[in-house]
Amino acid sequence: MDTYLVAAFTATGIYVLLTLGLMLQFGFAGLINFGHVAFFAIGAYVSAILSLHGVPVLVSMAAAVILAAMAALPVGLLAIRLREDYLAIAMLAFAETVRISLAAEQWLTGGINGLTGIPRPFFSPGIGRADNLTYLAFVLLMDVAAVLLIFRIVRSPFGRLVRAIRDDENAVQALGKDPVRFKVVVFVLGSAFGGLAGALQAHYVTFISPDQFTASVTFYVWIAMILGGAERISGAIVGALLLMMFLEATRFISDVVPWISPSDMASVRLAAVGLALIVCTVYFPHGVVVRAARR
Amino acid sequence: MTAFYINLAIGGLVQGLIIALAALAINLVFAVGRFANAATGDYVTVGAYAGIAAQAVGFTSTLAQGLAAALVTAVLVPAVYLLVFRPLAGRPAATFMIASVGVGFFLRYTIAFFVGHDQYTFLRPTVRALQWEGIRMLPIDLWLSGLAVLAVAAVFCILFLTSAGRRLRAVADNPELARTSGIDVGNSMMLLWVLVGFLSGVGGMIVGIKTVVVPDIGWNILLPAFAAAILGGVGNLPGALIAGLLLGVVQELSSPIVGFVYKQAIAFGVLVLVLAVRPQGLFGARKAVR
Repeated sequence: MDTYLVAAFTATGIYVLLTLGLMLQFGFAGLINFGHVAFFAIGAYVSAILSLHGVPVLVSMAAAVILAAMAALPVGLLAIRLREDYLAIAMLAFAETVRISLAAEQWLTGGINGLTGIPRPFFSPGIGRADNLTYLAFVLLMDVAAVLLIFRIVRSPFGRLVRAIRDDENAVQALGKDPVRFKVVVFVLGSAFGGLAGALQAHYVTFISPDQFTASVTFYVWIAMILGGAERISGAIVGALLLMMFLEATRFISDVVPWISPSDMASVRLAAVGLALIVCTVYFPHGVVVRAARR
Repeated sequence: MTAFYINLAIGGLVQGLIIALAALAINLVFAVGRFANAATGDYVTVGAYAGIAAQAVGFTSTLAQGLAAALVTAVLVPAVYLLVFRPLAGRPAATFMIASVGVGFFLRYTIAFFVGHDQYTFLRPTVRALQWEGIRMLPIDLWLSGLAVLAVAAVFCILFLTSAGRRLRAVADNPELARTSGIDVGNSMMLLWVLVGFLSGVGGMIVGIKTVVVPDIGWNILLPAFAAAILGGVGNLPGALIAGLLLGVVQELSSPIVGFVYKQAIAFGVLVLVLAVRPQGLFGARKAVR
């Protein structure tokens, strides 16, 4: 049982990072990113490939974060200066293109078979329980660091400005600030979070393949963020927890109910995510957690 | 050699018709509902499965299957509007987009749950292609093109020749002004979604005949359709048609160069190019973009 809990909390910790990144972009700057999974994928593959070529894991992870951020920059620069829905559409297409490329470039990524035997970091004492526990601690450490970083950003003059842009872009422009520049910075930062989450995922599961990085991951993160309330750090954490409980519960159902196959259950899960997106946007515009807390 | 490229272009035109129908549905929603409807692809999927269902209960003619497909989506899509999008009235466009993603996921995976991930095909007699100097043309492609042209013509006739269409265009122009002029905006919105459903259903039938029917069938044309909608100019209906056909041809012609796999990424390439060079699209107005 405790092995199971360690695994579940590690997965949650990784989703917390993804959700925090999306929260920065959407809740904080109003950017609609429908391709968050792209940076999760880039982070995972960069870190996996480098470490498989002998680069120390922590260096690989740092490179993954930097490359995910760099990948976000051109798309961000291109789409953020335009209508808000252009970014959403461009990111949807970007994420699909990343996944197609990962499946196609077999020489680098192993193609659809993916990459196996991705090493754990140096501090892991080997395979087993202690190993998983230290890794969980590492993931949670990254979560804490991310939360502290966001706190700093939100309270800085930069953070105030970004929120002002979200609330009234024209007013900020009238003050002589360039809203696009600030939004691009936030976009790149949120994508770096996605890259870190990807690196953590790759070294945790030690096996990655393109079908782990479909658009459904993006919308798992969206529902986690929306459930928690898009503008709150605590919401991102609670949302990721709720999401993980839901995913684990549905997996559990397909284990105990014999006439539901795992692929049927995957359909149920994704249909439920769709339904949750609808219900949350129609009835809970400020998140389920906030609504519950106000009562 | 020329014949090879002409054949590719013909194949591209048929692909382009499918993209154009979906892009037209997207730009109709852009023009009136003012949001990017990410569920469009899954409306197409519903249409394809409705056609398969019609075949399963004994309708053998493609026309009857197509009518069944268009009928199902023309009822379902307005129902989705009433249940999901109408209650969101007055909320930001982002909310509509997120809800439309939810609608798409719900439809796609509900279908996947009930029919599984097996492939379904429309059973058709194999007919030899018409040949002329190495240029090949399948009779079914001619029929499907005719069907698509008729469907688009019907939508344009409703929009531009009937008074209900005129009212809908008035709502697209300025909803408040339309309301104060005594136009029932609710009725016009229903007409909009019936048209969107009709186009998606016809598109689903055509893509179902050209490929195999799987739950992802519509999702796979969503990105090319979005790219075509933006290339044609957001909210621009003739633009969506021309851009859709163009994108289909470009996709096919590029496949010998970029390979089969990256053919799917062409839509993203076109999108990037449009956003960088001409974000208002080929036929769009500059003001619509910022």
